[in-house]
Amino acid sequence: MINVFERLNDGKYTIYFGPAHPGSGNFGVKLEVDGECVISARADPGFLHRGFEKLMEYRIPIQNAVLSDRICILESLAWNLVHAEAVDELMGIDVPERARYIRVVLAELSRIQSHLIWFGVISAGTGFDTGFKIAFGLRDYILDIFEMVTGGRVYPAGYICPGGVRRDFPRGAKERIMRVISKICVDEDTTVLEKLENKVLKDRLEGVGVLSAREAIKLGATGPVLRGSGIKADVRRDDPYEVYECFEFEIPTMNEGDAYARYCVGIEEIKESAKIVRQALKMMPDGDYIAPQFRKPKLHVKIPEGEVYVRNEVARGEGCVYMVSDGGDKPYRVKIRGPSFLHMIPVLEHLLCGAEIADVPAIYWSLNVCPADMDR
Amino acid sequence: MKMGVLAEVFGNMFAKPMTVRFPKEAIPIPDGYRGEHEFNIDLCISCGLCSKICPNRAIDMVEAPEEYREKYPKRYPRIDLGKCCFCALCQDICPKGAIKMTKNVFLSTFDPKSVIKEPIK
Repeated sequence: MINVFERLNDGKYTIYFGPAHPGSGNFGVKLEVDGECVISARADPGFLHRGFEKLMEYRIPIQNAVLSDRICILESLAWNLVHAEAVDELMGIDVPERARYIRVVLAELSRIQSHLIWFGVISAGTGFDTGFKIAFGLRDYILDIFEMVTGGRVYPAGYICPGGVRRDFPRGAKERIMRVISKICVDEDTTVLEKLENKVLKDRLEGVGVLSAREAIKLGATGPVLRGSGIKADVRRDDPYEVYECFEFEIPTMNEGDAYARYCVGIEEIKESAKIVRQALKMMPDGDYIAPQFRKPKLHVKIPEGEVYVRNEVARGEGCVYMVSDGGDKPYRVKIRGPSFLHMIPVLEHLLCGAEIADVPAIYWSLNVCPADMDR
Repeated sequence: MKMGVLAEVFGNMFAKPMTVRFPKEAIPIPDGYRGEHEFNIDLCISCGLCSKICPNRAIDMVEAPEEYREKYPKRYPRIDLGKCCFCALCQDICPKGAIKMTKNVFLSTFDPKSVIKEPIK
C-alpha cells in the first residue's frame, strides 16, 4: 500500500501561473513542479491577441497611428513613435525639428512611467506594497502630463502621428514636466524609488533568475534584460533615431544578470530618461509641430511603393515595425516585433527551470513584460 | 536597513492626500481633453469626412427626423459612443468645426440606446 501511495504521489504536479493570477496579466505559464522546485515551464500565450498586423492592412496611416496605441498599453506613446517613424521613412516626410523634440520628450516620459509600473509590479510581486503604491502614485503625475498634452491619460490616440505630432505643446507644459521630473528624481543621482530600497526586496531579488550574457543573446533578449546581463546595447546609441544623437546620457549595465540587476538597470534608466527630458526641453526649438501637408488629416494619401524596417528602444527592449507598401493608401503588410515576445516565451521558460515556486512572480516581473505587446 | 522607507512612509502620513473627495470636488480636466462629442448641425455641410476617417466606424451619416427634414435635408453624422475610441480624428478632419470634443467624461449608462448620439435630439 505504501508503495502504491509513493508511486502515485511522487511529488510532481502541474500548476498554472496565470492567466487568472493577480500578478500575471493576460498570460499564463504552466509549471511542472517537484515539491517547491519548478522542473519545466511552458508559456501559454494568446489571451490578448487582437490581430493588429492584419487590422493595419485595412486602415490608412493616421488610423493606424490611433491603433498603434494599443500595441502596448503601458507605453502607448513609444509605440506611436515606432509606427510614425516607419510611415515617415516610407513616405520620405521631412519631420520638423520641434516635432522631433516633442516626440523624444514624450517617448522618454513614457519610458519613465513604464519603468514606474515595472517597479510597482516587482514590489507587488514580492510583497512590498508600499513600493507599489508610491510608484503608481508617481506614475499618475506623468499621466496628468499626458492628459494635458495629448488629451487622454493612457491612450494618446495617435498623438505621435506620421509627419510630426497632432498638436503643439500647450502653454505651461514645459514647466509642469520639469516639476514632475523633479518629484520623481529628487536630484541628478537619486530617485524617490531608491529611497524605498530595503533588505526584503533585495533578498527576494538577488541571485534569482540569473541570465548569463551568452544565454541572453542566444534567447533574443533586448533592452533592460540584456543590459542587466552586462551587454551594453541600446538602439538610442547604436542606431540613433529622431534627435537622440544630440543628448548626453549613459547606458546603465549590470553584470550579475539576476532579477536584482535588472531592477537596478530599470532604476538607473529612469534617471537617464529624466536627463534626456531635461536636455530636450532646454534645447527644444520653436517652429512647426507637424509637416504642413499633414496638418489636417487626409484620406487617400498614397504611400509610395517600398518597404522599411524601423527599430526603436521602447521601455521593454527593441520595438520594431516592418512595413511594406504596394503604392496604395494602406500598407500592404505590417509586421510588429515586440520585445516582450522573446522575454515572455524563451527567456522566461529558461529562467523558470530550476526556480522555486515563490520566486516565479519575482522572475516574471523582473523581465519587465507586457502581455499586450507579446500577443499584439 | 536603510531608513528610506520609514522616512517616506512617515512623510506621507503628514502629506496632503493625492486623491480628492470625488463627488464634492474633482481634479480639473485640462483643455483639449477628448471627451463626449458636441455636434453643431447648423455648421455641418454633410461632407461625410468624419464618417470616412473614423477608425472604429462609429459614425453613420443619417437623415434628419421627418419633422426637421425641410430645414435639414441632407445626411448628418450619428455617433455611436459605444464604438467610439475618442481619437478626435473626426474633430480634426471636420472642415467647418461642426464636431467638437468636450470635457464630459461621465458617459456610463444602463440604457444602451443613450450611447447613440442622433444629429438632432
